[in-house]
Amino acid sequence: MAAPRTNETTLVEMAVAGAVTTPAVRPGQYIHYPDGKGAVLPGMYGVTYNVRCGDRAFGWAGDHVEPGVSIDDDGHSGRHHALHYLNCIGNDAMVTSGLAAGARGIVVGEHARILVQFDADAHDLIAPGDRIQVMTKGQGLRLEDYPGVALKKMSPRLFHAMGITEAAGRLHVNVAIELPVRIMGSGAELNSEYVDQDLMSGDRALMAELGIDQMRLGDLIAIRHADHHWGRSYREGAVSICLCIHGDSIMTGHGPGILTLMTARDGEIDFTIDAAGNIATLLDLGA
Amino acid sequence: MNVQTNAADIVSVSVAGQVANPVLSGLPAEPYRLDADGKAFLWPTFGGIVYNVSVGDSAYGWSGDCVHPGVSIAHPDANKNRGLNVFSCVGNDALVISGAAQGAKGVVTGKSGRFSDQVIVHFDEATRRKIAVDDRILVRSEGVGLAVPECPDVAFKSLAPSLFDKLPKRLSDGVLQMGVVAVVPPHFVGAGAGLTSEGGSLHIQSTDRDELAAHGLEALRLGDVVAFQDTDSRYNHGYLRGAMSIGIVGQTDGPRAGYGPGCTMVMTAPAGQLGCYDAPGTNIADLLALRP
Repeated sequence: MAAPRTNETTLVEMAVAGAVTTPAVRPGQYIHYPDGKGAVLPGMYGVTYNVRCGDRAFGWAGDHVEPGVSIDDDGHSGRHHALHYLNCIGNDAMVTSGLAAGARGIVVGEHARILVQFDADAHDLIAPGDRIQVMTKGQGLRLEDYPGVALKKMSPRLFHAMGITEAAGRLHVNVAIELPVRIMGSGAELNSEYVDQDLMSGDRALMAELGIDQMRLGDLIAIRHADHHWGRSYREGAVSICLCIHGDSIMTGHGPGILTLMTARDGEIDFTIDAAGNIATLLDLGA
Repeated sequence: MNVQTNAADIVSVSVAGQVANPVLSGLPAEPYRLDADGKAFLWPTFGGIVYNVSVGDSAYGWSGDCVHPGVSIAHPDANKNRGLNVFSCVGNDALVISGAAQGAKGVVTGKSGRFSDQVIVHFDEATRRKIAVDDRILVRSEGVGLAVPECPDVAFKSLAPSLFDKLPKRLSDGVLQMGVVAVVPPHFVGAGAGLTSEGGSLHIQSTDRDELAAHGLEALRLGDVVAFQDTDSRYNHGYLRGAMSIGIVGQTDGPRAGYGPGCTMVMTAPAGQLGCYDAPGTNIADLLALRP
């Protein structure tokens, strides 16, 4: 089976920098379980030492846990948006200041911050405020023979690693888990070029029934009837291929974060469930 | 039927805001939004004084994007605006306290959420013609804390006790059944999911028009009372089988993905304690006798 043709040779590779963030607690401090019980939990911002892409998405004593190093430019909205809109999953990154200067990493997600993973030795040395530069490449990537398929935040490296094949005019992708569209929640108000949309994990029995509670960070995800071309909406027959980028949440309407990689309206994308469909494996990110 | 509430215990507090001006993004002067097909459009959207769209009118068909009927108000200080947005309840009385329409009375009919955070107030058209942007509007807030002792698992939000009394309802076997115009299936829950349920709006996705019509949602009017199936709105809005929430259509449809008619959510219960039945035509323009 052949791989689909792309315009990869036309892509522009550009450096965009951010700084390692510092954990912040929201005003009021508490977040709430569905029954209103309050909790204070870590997970977002900073360097997460013991949660990596490939680890479980559920079951952490944390909320919206971001694997790796969370970077942003929170002092300048234009640079913040450049960081968000130009970054692609699988892009190379390097530390350009601080004790870990010179360490190389890879973009594994985009939440309200860009999530970059390095090896554990580098994580030990990286500090809030250190500069991280991403060599962004992937915005503009398209499939020459599939005008109805949009690619988003897809680096050429990830595209090739996913092993997408084509047969009989359709693309075929291996994904770890399929999600029902009715549980797609927070993030519906955003465009699909920015950040993610949480799956809603509040129906815990459903998470177990469908095996969603076995999801891992970095899992490739398929959602039927979800059109993610310009924003995210229900459309019969559409298919979107996504990526799990952050951990579960206790909050109603929230759960693991699902970022869009591919979307098609008219049946151009088919998928098979395969537990190996995780970018920690596909991009050889190491344990 | 009449259902006993704790209305006598509710504390009524003043909140205030100013008539909001519509806002568009800044330089480089790119005013467009994108519809669900990626096409740029330029239409009026939330904010401002809307002269010709009122509660009771169709929620669809306007050349507008999530337009608020009547007058939209906000407070310039973010925390005080949160007070305005959370404490204002649908059915509360409003009073113009500055400008040429000073003394005119209105009624809160809805709220909007992330990216606008406004309270939507109905005034009759003659009053709207006198109101100016930045005029101050006082809301006599009443409803936060509302409860029905017989139904302790039903949570009330953003709902004036006087409006609750007027909503069609039945109480049978401990389940509070509300009369609604339509039921929104959970796959249509859009913008607002995961966001606060004490203010703001939850939008009915309208991109797939055939699917919308298949569920009888294509003819909703502003002010209609609707139910959201499998939706838990106790603390944020989210999916939960057996849960139900009741909303009031507060703003019009729009062409953006994930959006559609916005609803102010007023009641919720997690596990079958809240139900609904068909009550065609249930609309707050009639229940509150809003003057055109």
